[in-house]
Amino acid sequence: MADLQDHVDTATAIGQLDAEYAQISAPARPSPVPHPDAPAPPDPLARARALLAAHPVVDGFNGLAHAVRSIPWCDLELGERSLDTDVPRLRAGRVGAQFWSLQVPADHAGDRAVSATLDRIDQVRALVAAYPEALRPAHGVGEMTDARNCGRVAALLGPVSGHALADSLGTLRAYHALGVRSITLTGTSWTGRGGGLTRFGQEVVREMNRLGILVDLTGASPDTMRRALAVAKAPVIFSHSAAHELTDHPSNVPDDVLRMLRSNNGLCMVGFAADQVAREGTASLREVADHLEHVREVAGPDCVGLGAGYDTGATHADGLTDVSRYPQLIAELLERDWSESDVAALTWGNAARVMREAEFASRAAQLRRAPSTATIGELDR
Amino acid sequence: MAEQIADRTTDHFGDHLAQAAELLAEYPVVDGHNDLPWALREQVGYDLDARDIATDQSAHLHTDIGRLRAGGVGAQFWSVYVRSDMAGEDAVSATLEQIDVVAELLDRYPADLRRALTADDMEAARTEGRIASLMGAEGGHSINNSLGTLRALHALGVRYMTLTHNDNIAWADSATDEPGVGGLSPFGHEVVREMNRTGMLVDLSHVAATTMRDALATSTAPVMFSHSSSRAICDHPRNVPDDVLAQLPANGGIAMATFVPKFVLPEAVEWTRAADRNMRDRGLHHLDTTAQAMKIHAEFEAAHPRPMATVATIADHLDHMREVAGIDHIGIGGDYDGTAFLPSGLEDVAGYPNLIAELLGRGWSAADLAKLTWRNAVRVLRDAEAVARDLQTRRGPSHATIQELDARAS
Repeated sequence: MADLQDHVDTATAIGQLDAEYAQISAPARPSPVPHPDAPAPPDPLARARALLAAHPVVDGFNGLAHAVRSIPWCDLELGERSLDTDVPRLRAGRVGAQFWSLQVPADHAGDRAVSATLDRIDQVRALVAAYPEALRPAHGVGEMTDARNCGRVAALLGPVSGHALADSLGTLRAYHALGVRSITLTGTSWTGRGGGLTRFGQEVVREMNRLGILVDLTGASPDTMRRALAVAKAPVIFSHSAAHELTDHPSNVPDDVLRMLRSNNGLCMVGFAADQVAREGTASLREVADHLEHVREVAGPDCVGLGAGYDTGATHADGLTDVSRYPQLIAELLERDWSESDVAALTWGNAARVMREAEFASRAAQLRRAPSTATIGELDR
Repeated sequence: MAEQIADRTTDHFGDHLAQAAELLAEYPVVDGHNDLPWALREQVGYDLDARDIATDQSAHLHTDIGRLRAGGVGAQFWSVYVRSDMAGEDAVSATLEQIDVVAELLDRYPADLRRALTADDMEAARTEGRIASLMGAEGGHSINNSLGTLRALHALGVRYMTLTHNDNIAWADSATDEPGVGGLSPFGHEVVREMNRTGMLVDLSHVAATTMRDALATSTAPVMFSHSSSRAICDHPRNVPDDVLAQLPANGGIAMATFVPKFVLPEAVEWTRAADRNMRDRGLHHLDTTAQAMKIHAEFEAAHPRPMATVATIADHLDHMREVAGIDHIGIGGDYDGTAFLPSGLEDVAGYPNLIAELLGRGWSAADLAKLTWRNAVRVLRDAEAVARDLQTRRGPSHATIQELDARAS
């Protein structure tokens, strides 16, 4: 029920219809000519905070689960300066939902990759259990919204590394049962061949759609991105990618893929890592805003989101050094004349819509398809 | 005269069988070990349309719903076993696949199978007339030396873990391997403590007697033997020695007698040794149950008649286990679909009433049999839950690693 009560101003699952309706009814709105006696508009940062209070940030990627193990002891509620993420700064940053990365090193294979992933899941569960006043587990958009309404940061599990599936759809379903909601398509034999996605790879995407796990294309090869977008029956995401057109980085998304994202109704969550957003040697909050504007222009305002990538060991753009800084970024966008509805879509609305659509597609698929028992041996021989 | 006696025995057996059915209707069987998931994996690659257990599967399997019902089964620990030679490669993912197929069985047959994670769930299933479905992992290789993975298995619903299968693992010795760490290593003790804390039962079937004693010394929760019989009756390493059985009352645990002839019948032990040798000589794994392997087995059997275990053989074990461990610490763990051969009268999961009838003939009371079939196993899970709740108030999850604990020891 909660996801029905949570209506976001902009897009809904049936976005086309609403857009037409909006065109018919929109001209009634007067153009914003300020009255001479009107009070001075509040400064952009205050406006950003006010907006974020209603539409907090859904962030696609955070490496805290692993980073927290690299220090001997910490209290996230009190604040932990050696990390990018802690509870006071999540609150200052107006974060409403966070995907916690469960990725494991690319050189882990077989049991080592699987049990390391299960360890990560265990770590996040322990972390969420340890800070019940701050974090609340969420397995879908309904619980995510509930958490926001209770003033908690919704904790979502993902992404898992593609190679941690160990080429097994049963393992994929076990991750889903443990709460995982996004998985990357990287580092596997079924993404490296077959024009980006082998027959087994396509079956993995279909099974993820059936389960309601988001396909995360960050880090995938452009071929894999295109094949996955062609196969997917639900919106896909990039959990932390910027625009390849502006910065030539392997994790960034080419424009043709961003255009495909528009028809897929998916989401590019822009990352803040310095080497992903740097332009002519500078990487600051402004460059991140440039990337957001580019993605919005090419993929559309319904397909852009945030996936900062904190606590991954990467250096972040100046001015966006930790999770408390999202309001500063939003202020910059407001100064660049982003409408409030575009900002609300960027921070919360788009991610909520993508998750809702993925859940809907999953429910529909489960009526038609039984769990897949395909094996890589059968399909990719 | 001889004929008359036989007739009279048969009549009594018939009466007892009717009485057994009545008893099982009230206190059905909790079976400690059934390898249906592995059989589904090996036979049809988890294609559940090809093995619809709502229909008669006696041509392929020991287990289907009709025969579980006929056998008076009220709760089943489905084994999510994977081969121990998969260790380190795909043992964990194969275990997850096994867990997945149990979940799919529950989705497919909701009128007959009910997910059970607790003793309360088991009682609810009994009240509803459904078969409580629990899961047990068979071998520490399923957690890849990782306590996080152990907790993940618990989160997925696994409620016991056998510490080893047929081979030693890094932190525990198996009954059917050479002595390794001499029982449990320091990390092995930590695994037992963490199992106590999470509420996963420590299963000591398959482990060496040294491992049994180490685990009993460390465990603060009741332990179980999911499918092991008595070593005093049949001297096979898979069975439980009397000194260990005698520790069960103090521990509160349960030894669930298994039906596997090669463990329970002394003549069958020797015969099996020869049969296994024959399989290995032909280049096959001795536990292989594929069509080709079964054919080779059949040829061997034609040349060397197989000694037959009977219901009475199992009853002999239960009589002895009852004597040593006490009526509150015994149960049943058939190992159906995990073994090629079974005693006459216990050929499939419909056979439990024959065993109950045999025990009635030996003078077991209705109250004794209720403990054997249902009450002991449910109590053990409930007590383990209580221990876990208590430990969780005092201890957080363990993050110990095998490198830390076992390097320090050596």
